[in-house]
Amino acid sequence: MPESEKQEKECELRRLEESIQDHPDDPSLRFELGVLLWEECGEKEKAAEQFVVAAKLNPGIEKGGAFRYLGLYYAGLDSQSHSQRALKCLQKAASLNPDDSIAGEALCDLLDQQGKESLEVAVCREASQNSPRAFWAFQRLGYLQLHQNKCSEAVHSLQHAIRGYPTSPILWEALGLAYQRLGRFTAALKSYGRAIELEGTRIFALIESGNIYLMLGSFKKGVETFQQALEFSPKSVSAHYGLSSGLLGLAKECINLGAFKWGASVLEEASKVAWMSTHLAGNMSSIWKLHGDILLTYAKCYPWMEVDRGLEFDAEAFNNSILSWKHTCCVAAKTARCSYQRALHLAPWQANAYSDIAVTSDFIYSLDKSSGHDSSSWQPSEKMALGALLLEGDNSEFWVGLGCLSNHNALKQHALIRGLQLNVSLAVAWAFLGKLYRKQGEKQFARQAFDYARSIDPSLALPWAGMSADFHSRESAADEAYESCLRAVQILPLAEFQTGLAKLALLSGHLSSSQVFGAIRQAMQRAPHYPECHNLNGLVSEAQSNYQSAAVSYRLARCAIINLSSSDTKSHMKDITVNLARALCKAGNTLDALQECEYLKKEGFLDVEASQIYAFSLWQLGQTDLALTVARNLAESVSTMEQASAAAAVILFSRFQYYISGLDSTINNILQMPKQRFRSSKFSLIVSAIHALDQRNQLKSVGFSIHNNLKTPEEITEMFFLLALGTLVKHGSEYRLGYRRGIDHLRKSLHMYPNSSLLRNLLGYLLLSSEEWNNTHMASRCCGLGTDPFKGGFKLSYEILGAGAVACYAVGNSNPKFSYPTCTYQCLNEPGAIQQLQKCLRQEPWNQNVRYLLVLNLVQKAREERFPRHLCIILRRLIIVALSDEFYHKPGMSIRYQKFQLLLCASEICLHDGYLIDCINHAKDASMIMLPDAYLFFAHLLLCRAYASEGDAVNLQREYIRCLELRTDCHIGWLCLKFMESRYGLETGLDTLELSFKEFTKEQKNSSNMWMALFNLVQGLMSIWSKDTYSAEGFLSQACSLAGAESTLLLCHGATCMELSRQGDASQFLSLAARSLTKAQEVSLIPLPIVSALLAQVGGSLGSKEKWEKNLRLEWPTWPPETRPAELFFQMHLLARQSKASSDTTNIELWQSPLRWILQAIHTNPSCMRYWKALQKLVE
Amino acid sequence: MKLAGLKSIEDAHDESVWAVTWVPATDSRPALLLTGSLDETVRLWQPDELVNRGKMTGHCLGVASVAAHPSGYIAASASLDSFVRVFDVDSNSTIASLEAPPSEVWQLRFNPQGNMLAAAGGGSASVKVWDTSTWNLVATLSIPRPEGTKPADKSSSKKFVLSVAWSPDGRRIACGSMDGTVSVFDTDRGKFLHHLEGHCMPVRSLVFSPAEPRLLFTGSDDQHVHMYDAEGKTQVGSMSGHNGWVLSVDASTDGAAIATGSSDRTVKLWDIGMKAAVQTMSNHNDQVWGVAFRPGGMPGRLASVSDDKSISLYDYS
Repeated sequence: MPESEKQEKECELRRLEESIQDHPDDPSLRFELGVLLWEECGEKEKAAEQFVVAAKLNPGIEKGGAFRYLGLYYAGLDSQSHSQRALKCLQKAASLNPDDSIAGEALCDLLDQQGKESLEVAVCREASQNSPRAFWAFQRLGYLQLHQNKCSEAVHSLQHAIRGYPTSPILWEALGLAYQRLGRFTAALKSYGRAIELEGTRIFALIESGNIYLMLGSFKKGVETFQQALEFSPKSVSAHYGLSSGLLGLAKECINLGAFKWGASVLEEASKVAWMSTHLAGNMSSIWKLHGDILLTYAKCYPWMEVDRGLEFDAEAFNNSILSWKHTCCVAAKTARCSYQRALHLAPWQANAYSDIAVTSDFIYSLDKSSGHDSSSWQPSEKMALGALLLEGDNSEFWVGLGCLSNHNALKQHALIRGLQLNVSLAVAWAFLGKLYRKQGEKQFARQAFDYARSIDPSLALPWAGMSADFHSRESAADEAYESCLRAVQILPLAEFQTGLAKLALLSGHLSSSQVFGAIRQAMQRAPHYPECHNLNGLVSEAQSNYQSAAVSYRLARCAIINLSSSDTKSHMKDITVNLARALCKAGNTLDALQECEYLKKEGFLDVEASQIYAFSLWQLGQTDLALTVARNLAESVSTMEQASAAAAVILFSRFQYYISGLDSTINNILQMPKQRFRSSKFSLIVSAIHALDQRNQLKSVGFSIHNNLKTPEEITEMFFLLALGTLVKHGSEYRLGYRRGIDHLRKSLHMYPNSSLLRNLLGYLLLSSEEWNNTHMASRCCGLGTDPFKGGFKLSYEILGAGAVACYAVGNSNPKFSYPTCTYQCLNEPGAIQQLQKCLRQEPWNQNVRYLLVLNLVQKAREERFPRHLCIILRRLIIVALSDEFYHKPGMSIRYQKFQLLLCASEICLHDGYLIDCINHAKDASMIMLPDAYLFFAHLLLCRAYASEGDAVNLQREYIRCLELRTDCHIGWLCLKFMESRYGLETGLDTLELSFKEFTKEQKNSSNMWMALFNLVQGLMSIWSKDTYSAEGFLSQACSLAGAESTLLLCHGATCMELSRQGDASQFLSLAARSLTKAQEVSLIPLPIVSALLAQVGGSLGSKEKWEKNLRLEWPTWPPETRPAELFFQMHLLARQSKASSDTTNIELWQSPLRWILQAIHTNPSCMRYWKALQKLVE
Repeated sequence: MKLAGLKSIEDAHDESVWAVTWVPATDSRPALLLTGSLDETVRLWQPDELVNRGKMTGHCLGVASVAAHPSGYIAASASLDSFVRVFDVDSNSTIASLEAPPSEVWQLRFNPQGNMLAAAGGGSASVKVWDTSTWNLVATLSIPRPEGTKPADKSSSKKFVLSVAWSPDGRRIACGSMDGTVSVFDTDRGKFLHHLEGHCMPVRSLVFSPAEPRLLFTGSDDQHVHMYDAEGKTQVGSMSGHNGWVLSVDASTDGAAIATGSSDRTVKLWDIGMKAAVQTMSNHNDQVWGVAFRPGGMPGRLASVSDDKSISLYDYS
């Protein structure tokens, strides 16, 4: 203390003493002195003297301040009489000033020391009633009430106290505890949270809020809270206990989802924490019990992990992995039992410890049968279950436990019924009773018991499973059983339920569902030693077409069954081996499949299914004779089989016979078969297929009996399909199928079943294949794309659509910018086809067929649009992508053909882009592909074109000769070749060319005329090139007469005639021209340009001004605005000048003046002198 | 008086060791140490080097108690499922299997005369007595129900009997219960005499002084060791010092000292005269479940067994 202050105080003291001497009766001065002595000088005795005097003089001084100091003074003196005096003083002080927290607290402490709790409560209550600001009293009262477990009152007091001390973590903690005891958990959590906020290390608040979280089931939060507590209090037993039980809860949640691995890893952590807590408090039985619980749960969830084996199979590794899995489970369970025993040893009066040991012993026994003690008639599990009952005979759950663990059915039943007597709504007991009855074969009772259980607690898995297992005895379908078992599996992922589910799925056809897949995979983790588990897993894999892994699973199953020493292994072994052989066969591993079959044969297990597989694998391996023998033996034993497998056997035999011995012997065999065989619809279809292939119609006699056996529309349409194919075969020649009859037949069938996409697609395909002139459009129309273009028949609708769109030779483009559509069938769906194909490609980007068709369609479009740049770029990219696909390295004629076409497309694009070297390379590549000459022709044709544009005459000639040698049955090829020939003056092989062309044309009836007309057209054009207009006219008129009403041909003819008339023979050719052109004008789909202009000229030449004007006006709208030629404007100028006189303003030519017309003509083509002269004349 | 460590065997058992007793010396061999453990085995050890003399199996749960016949030829062990196996110490052949309902056999003790085997009856609230010649159950000494409870009341009012002790003359049996009471029976008449009160938590171990037949020492979970005048129904002393449950108590042959094992991981030696602990051994690192003085003359030996799987042997002088 600094000197000056000390002096000051002494001064003050002296001053007060002096004034007291002056005024000895002034209590306030004495009080002041007392306080000074008490606080500053620490002379409490002297101070007390002053306080006594002051209190005597004025008891109410400073609101009982004197009494407070006196009370504190006496309380400080440690003796009985003094404390009495202290009590009185403090009581006085507190009653004088209820807000005085120091006096109040001191009073309460004193009372507390003397154990006078009720008095303490009374003091606090009085103070709190006297003043709402006596927060100390509320606080004290709250604590006391909480201590006395009067929680709702405590909440009020504490809340009031918190108003006075809002930052006291202890108060918040106490409030939290009060709420917790009242069961208001969220409020409690909030209060504890506030306490933790105020002081992060409130261990009590942390642990209690953790406990509340666990109780509310939010284990994650609980775990976090306990971890937080452990951070600063690493030795807290409660925190350890809470953490491990939180982790246990978390793990159980995982396990209930079936995430065993996850659960196991959480449990590993939990067991570590629990183990640590057993070190901290090894004599608490609850900790040992928790440790036991954790390890038992671990033993029950530890998953068997598949050895990383790829698709190889290693029996030893499998066995070892199962052994080590079992060992891990067993060790965990045994450790759990040790922990339970410790718990029991510490607190043997607790009944649940006995039942825990009982359950664990039972589990260990189930895992490891060898460790059972046969010496005593009582299993330890049963005995311990009895132990629990001896201690707590009125606990129904212990009775249920005994019922589950006992080996004696009578005792089981008794225990379960006893449990139900104690608690009739115990769903578990009902469920187990049901299980027991089921085992004893009392299905009726079982069902009732399960029904009770289910109605009491629908979230219990066992009754659902029980109901599903019972489905044989009831009428309910397998579907219902499956659903109910699925429910059980969803509630509790138990391996037994899961294998049951897979079994039911097999029966009800749900095997490929993902729920079954997940379930059986989980089952494998928990029951790897059950062969049926692997077998079912194999079946599930097979259902998902994963034959390789199915085979591995079957092998595992076989391995597991060898380890299992059970009586009935033989028949199971057979089933598994048959499955294995089938899976191997399906996976393409025929050699192994054959081995398995031979093993079966050796063991005498070769049943119907195995024989089929045997025969099939023999056939696959080329041992045809043996295969046939096996199949024949199978077919001969048909009479003893059930219907489905009998049919399968006969079908197999017939098919083999067809493949191996040929058509005739098969037919003979079928003719010898008894009629009832045909009752199987599948066999009927096979017979029809064979019938379809047979040109001699030997099976006609059985045909009628077949028809009657088919029931469903699908089967009937399939029959019609086969009939149509049969028609094709029967009415075709050696080289060509009877398309016409086939199409007729199909049209009739389609009339009956208009919705069958199978028939529609076939019709479309046939229409396309017939290569008749206009059938392509019908093909596209008859198989409209439905919602799913990838469904139906052996040719898909998108394929027909795509092919149909490229098959049309006519220009289908309706955009007048490029050309004029000439297709009389309004082939306007071509862009639609491209869009459809793009849609298909988007759905199945891996589908090379769609890509191929899209490329072809795009090339077609590019051709029509004169190879625009952007399209060429897209195409080149598409083709490169397509060609780089593995798909085109596979063998197969159609794939080679597609590759060929793609190369040609690439080549053509390059030709137009000017990359001649690429073009030649692509074409050469194409010409190397192994294909019939008729196709290769086109590669060489393209080479011709490339060399021609390169100017390489030698190579051109060579390729041309090659083309002639190869020949093709495709007319357009010949026409192109002809074109090339005349264009480049090649060495003529004209005779052969023309002859071959005519030869191929004859075969087609409908379109032969058209092709001849085209041939004539080409010849006519060549004549025009060689200035031989007369012969050109001859060819063209022949073409017109052959083709009928074809506007373009007529136009050509008309124009040629005009030319001839210009050259001389006016009258004769002029009338011919007029006829052709008028006809052209009439038949053309949309008004063709030039036709009317020429007609106008004809009219003019014949002196008919009216005709001239009319036709010229008709000419105008035929041109799209951007392509109107200069001559058109000039002609309009002439027309305008002529019709000036007549004032009919509706005519086109009067839109503008002749001057404007001529200027427009000059603007379009300034190089024509005629226009300039006309302008001059006009201006003059 | 003092203790001096002689030998300690770590991992004497595979699991916690729960019970220990001395098998008295016979003509052919010295006294042996018999231990029972959670690993379901009973093992024999020869002092002072604690050589393993044999491993006896036959239980399928942890062994909670072992007892040796005063003759030294016979011993009995009880596991948690209340299965009692009586066997020949030297040949390990089973002499008898006594079965009681589970939870109804806890601590075992032969009477000093050797014709009776008593077992603390756990949940049955009684002491069971077998005749050692016929191995028949000859008596069940039940603790009477507290006044005011009806027989219909189930287990809750029962006293779970944890421990049992014979007086040196064999005329009295005392048993300790879970609620802290000690009951004294007259063995001749098979009658309940009275309760000894004072403990408030389970009494896990009790022993009569070999020197003074009336004097009974009890150890309880309330951390105290009490001395009673078993006849006079009075508590004559209380000793405290353990920091955990007192799990086991045994009196030295001369009656001058007792040893206790506790869950605070220590073994304490108490001077009866001074009523105070004179020595604390803390060589175990887990709770000490059993202590046992070797009967007979000098030199004195004390053995202790613990949850840490170890056995320790001390010289007592």
